[in-house]
Amino acid sequence: MAAGYMLNRSALTLRLQCQLVSRSPSLTQVREKKRWMKAYTHLMAKKLKLEGPPPPKPRWQQPNWDYHSEVQAFSSRLHENFSLELLKIAFINPCYLQAEQDRRKQLGVDSETMALALKDNLQLSEKGAGLTNSFLTDWCRTSFPNLPHEGVECIVGHLTSPSVVTYVARNLGIEDLTMSAEFPVPDEVLNSTFMAVIGALEESGGAERAAFFLRDFLLTQLIGKDLFDMWIVVNPMGLLVEELTKRNLPLPEPRLIRSAGASTVLPLYFVGLYSDTKLLAQGPGETLVGAEEEAARVALRKLYGYTENRRPFDFSPQQQRQQMLLQSVSQ
Amino acid sequence: MSSFSRSAQQWATFARSWFLIDARMQPPGKIATMCSVRLQGKHKPIYHALSDCGDHVVVINSKHVAFSGNKWEQKVYSSHTGFPGGFKQVTAAQLHHKDPKAVVRLAVYGMLPRNLHRRTMMQRLHIFPEDELPDDIRANLTEELPQPREIPRKLSEYTQEEIDAFPRLWIPPEDYKMK
Repeated sequence: MAAGYMLNRSALTLRLQCQLVSRSPSLTQVREKKRWMKAYTHLMAKKLKLEGPPPPKPRWQQPNWDYHSEVQAFSSRLHENFSLELLKIAFINPCYLQAEQDRRKQLGVDSETMALALKDNLQLSEKGAGLTNSFLTDWCRTSFPNLPHEGVECIVGHLTSPSVVTYVARNLGIEDLTMSAEFPVPDEVLNSTFMAVIGALEESGGAERAAFFLRDFLLTQLIGKDLFDMWIVVNPMGLLVEELTKRNLPLPEPRLIRSAGASTVLPLYFVGLYSDTKLLAQGPGETLVGAEEEAARVALRKLYGYTENRRPFDFSPQQQRQQMLLQSVSQ
Repeated sequence: MSSFSRSAQQWATFARSWFLIDARMQPPGKIATMCSVRLQGKHKPIYHALSDCGDHVVVINSKHVAFSGNKWEQKVYSSHTGFPGGFKQVTAAQLHHKDPKAVVRLAVYGMLPRNLHRRTMMQRLHIFPEDELPDDIRANLTEELPQPREIPRKLSEYTQEEIDAFPRLWIPPEDYKMK
């Protein structure tokens, strides 16, 4: 025991002397059980549990970020000819300008000697929003000529709602380029930035390019959407009656056309709507009332031309479409 | 074709249908084939062996099924009670006399897959010896399936004119003695 202790002491002193002799840090690999590791990981885990995960860091605060080349890459990634100055203006939000000025004041920079020569995107944003609204409305009118005014409004409202627009904007990488006071970028800021990008595209490439951009990125969000997901109709039967009277057709007459398990807890009814002894539509439901309402919805979809089996939207470029038309004519 | 809302579409897809089969003068095996397909849900495009998607089947007139050949006398149903000497064997006629539902039920049971769903599927099979149905079951019915075999007409169901018009291969002479 004593001998072991002595040996240990001598080893310690030898180590001390070694350290004294070699001032430079030793780069040799130490092969031992890292006993500090367990305590360290435990501490870190406890810290993580107490404080939660660290707040997200904007991309521009992380390494390898060149704003100018990123903006340029954004424009060429989308195959659009943005004017870069306009595009940079489009990313600057008023909230960012305000925050930047406050920051400079805090740092003691004189606002007159070092003026902040930046424009915000309010104008571009308004312009883009106006263009988006008018383009989407026109497109809905031409694709669904039978759809009434409220329906068109609801579809446009869905497509320009913050949830859809921010989803598109995030996936186009606009969030990283947006200059905003807060991070993560709030939805309304991202929304106005996207609109400003549309406005910048309109100013630099013309309204047609902007319309194609909207068609390719915003209208495609309509794929797989049901009409009545966007347009909340409480009383479809009333609407159907209104539509039929507008078209001078006899009123719909609901009839039970088939059912299954009527006396069980999971019944199924199919109700058909007949107008002038012709079947308008049929719909399934758990109850007779529900099935009738569903049938009215199906009839409305058929009247408005928004059925599931309609011709898919044609998103192909203009030239290709003309070629296809020519081919079909020549055949 | 259909432009149903998603919830209504799903309700219609997974609802259980109720089929009616009239077993009068039908071979039990053919009835059982139709039943086992519907009970397992194999007639559906959404069929999957692990999903419980079978329909209900109501068989009426099971007392009037028709075995071909001399199966009523020759076909033997065996069972064992589990006790020593408990091996029972009865002919189809005896079993049918005792329980008019048993022939159809055993035929369907034998055609279902031997797994844990078998008893559940059998619970969805409703057999009635005659053509009278209780009201709650009659309310559930969706459609009647066509009979697998065309019922042959008996000689007593033919009118005299039809019998006379029947083509004859050989006309016996007048002095021909019939026994």
